[in-house]
Amino acid sequence: MTQGTPTPTPQPVDPDAGPIGVSRVIDHPPIPAKLAGPPVVEFRNVTKTYNAGRPNAHTAIRDVSFVVQDIKDVGEFVCVLGPSGCGKSTVLRLIAGLEPQHPATTGEVQVLGRPVTGAGADRGMVFQDYTSFDHRTVLDNVTFGLECRGVSRKDRHDLGRQWIQRVGLNVDVDQYKYPHELSGGMRQRVAIARTLILRPRIILMDEPFGALDPHTRMNMQDLLVTLWREVEATVFFVTHSIEEAVYLGDRVYIMSNSPGTLLREMEVEPANRPSRQMQREPRFQETVAYIRDLISELEESRAAE
Amino acid sequence: MFSGFFRLRREVAWWQGLLFALGCLLTVLGVWWLATHGEPEQRLLSPTVLPSPHETFATFPELWFDRALTRNTLASLRRVALGFGLATAVGVPLGILCGCFPFLRAFFAPVSIFGRNIPVAALIPLTFSLFGIGELQKIMFIFIACVAFILSDSARAIAEVHDRYIDTAYTLGAARRQVILKVLVPLAFPSIFNSLRLLFGLAFGYIMLAELVKFGGESGGLGDIIITSQRRGPKEHILLVLIIIPIVALAIDRGLFWIQRELFPHRYGGSGILNRAVHVLLVGWERFKFLLVKPTPVAAIRQPTPSQEKAS
Ligand SMILES: Nc1ncnc2c1ncn2[C@@H]1O[C@H](COP(=O)(O)OP(=O)(O)OP(=O)(O)O)[C@@H](O)[C@H]1O
Ligand SMILES: [Mg+2]
Repeated sequence: MTQGTPTPTPQPVDPDAGPIGVSRVIDHPPIPAKLAGPPVVEFRNVTKTYNAGRPNAHTAIRDVSFVVQDIKDVGEFVCVLGPSGCGKSTVLRLIAGLEPQHPATTGEVQVLGRPVTGAGADRGMVFQDYTSFDHRTVLDNVTFGLECRGVSRKDRHDLGRQWIQRVGLNVDVDQYKYPHELSGGMRQRVAIARTLILRPRIILMDEPFGALDPHTRMNMQDLLVTLWREVEATVFFVTHSIEEAVYLGDRVYIMSNSPGTLLREMEVEPANRPSRQMQREPRFQETVAYIRDLISELEESRAAE
Repeated sequence: MFSGFFRLRREVAWWQGLLFALGCLLTVLGVWWLATHGEPEQRLLSPTVLPSPHETFATFPELWFDRALTRNTLASLRRVALGFGLATAVGVPLGILCGCFPFLRAFFAPVSIFGRNIPVAALIPLTFSLFGIGELQKIMFIFIACVAFILSDSARAIAEVHDRYIDTAYTLGAARRQVILKVLVPLAFPSIFNSLRLLFGLAFGYIMLAELVKFGGESGGLGDIIITSQRRGPKEHILLVLIIIPIVALAIDRGLFWIQRELFPHRYGGSGILNRAVHVLLVGWERFKFLLVKPTPVAAIRQPTPSQEKAS
């Protein structure tokens, strides 16, 4: 997203809510009928109950509704925050169409105007666990999706090398390494490359930097922002770090606990300056403090139950 | 001086390990010698019970030349290889399918429970009536003894591959067949191979059983040498064969282990010679695949069009 672009569609704003630091609270959901095309992702009263009908049934999310619009040629960066166990991964995996989260117990999950029927390469996903295929070299990991689509060896390796370069790995040194020879940060770079190489419209990231040290983490955040601008996709990014969410997000969703619902939706200034710089600004810190208070309120109310 | 060896779980250098192992061998040999030295009448154990080391090794040339040790060893190995090969050819693919599809696993559960819990010796009479008293009976005995183990080990290896790899493959656009062939099987293969290697040792043990039980005639094989020596002598040959069997088994095991390391360097840390060989074969196959399947142009991925998105 380029700096200073006005939000394409006007949003109904809660009249009481003024700006909070670099962010402001917005009403949800915007009315889909007023939008031009079908929204990128739409949840309509989605409830997910695990082990439904059995004694250990557990409702992870209840009645979640939201809409993420299709901003043509730009995409949006949506960060999802919330206490542990509130159903963030559940939401993400419902969009991805992965079992056992998919299908939803009630309600409807739509992607680009069609109900989700299963996983597909149009919704790439980066997991917190390292999921590089151990028997494949970095190059073969990065080009896995292309191989599945039947792209010829030469073409996919050419493109694969470009992407290895783009995520900041050293092509000559790293392309023939096996995953066990890589550090955690390098593995996540490989995971990002192999997802983005397919140019998905939606990128789902479930705490991808959760296992990285703070320094590597900031580098990865900056890398992600740069790459995301190139691929023009809508990103869903789950994280436990409020700073990360406020820095990366155009929009931050805050979920509440057991069963999870969407509590608040905030609009944040885009990440148009380096992570280290933006995170030092007082306005940034004001937003972080606001969200932190909100979440600890949630945690306390849950503990009181 | 030796107190270092009593530190908990302290590793020893390879030559130290070798020395300790030699110490064990020498002890056994020493006890054997002590029990059997001197004139036949004065020994602790009479020659009819246990011949002395010298007497035993003196009969080696006879075993080698007159009783065709190599040919008999090869005869035993051939039976194991055929029976085990057949069991692998049936058990591994079936096991992979069982690991991928639990309903198949449930279907084969009775077979695998029966096959793994029946004492194999009890199957010998049945194999005689089913397959006669020839070569086929011995091969099929090995097959029956091993196939259930191979099947359930392969199924477990597939089931143990973490779900996250399947999820990742699906979100990268792999079809179900591709998830099986490009993810599940390659990731499970090191442990399948490892269990095959261990089971081969088991099969080698079973062939002795099959060769010991026979209806007259010279069927050949190491087990045959043992049973004939038991009846007609010389008894020394039994001891020699007992020494030779573990040596052959060890050699085979080390050979298989080398293959395993070279095939799966990412898992067992070999230099990967065989892995590269397989890789070259796969690349070669891809070179000619275009004759069968048309490759997707890469441009289709770099500029996705809306219609293409809907297809996925
Ligand atoms: N496969 C499953 N079967 C049963 N319950 C599940 C399953 N997956 C998740 N849950 C439950 O659903 C709830 C939400 O899980 P989810 O993984 O979506 O939380 P989360 O917000 O991602 O948590 P975290 O931040 O710790 O990753 C949790 O209480 C969890 O115990
Ligand atoms: Mg989670």
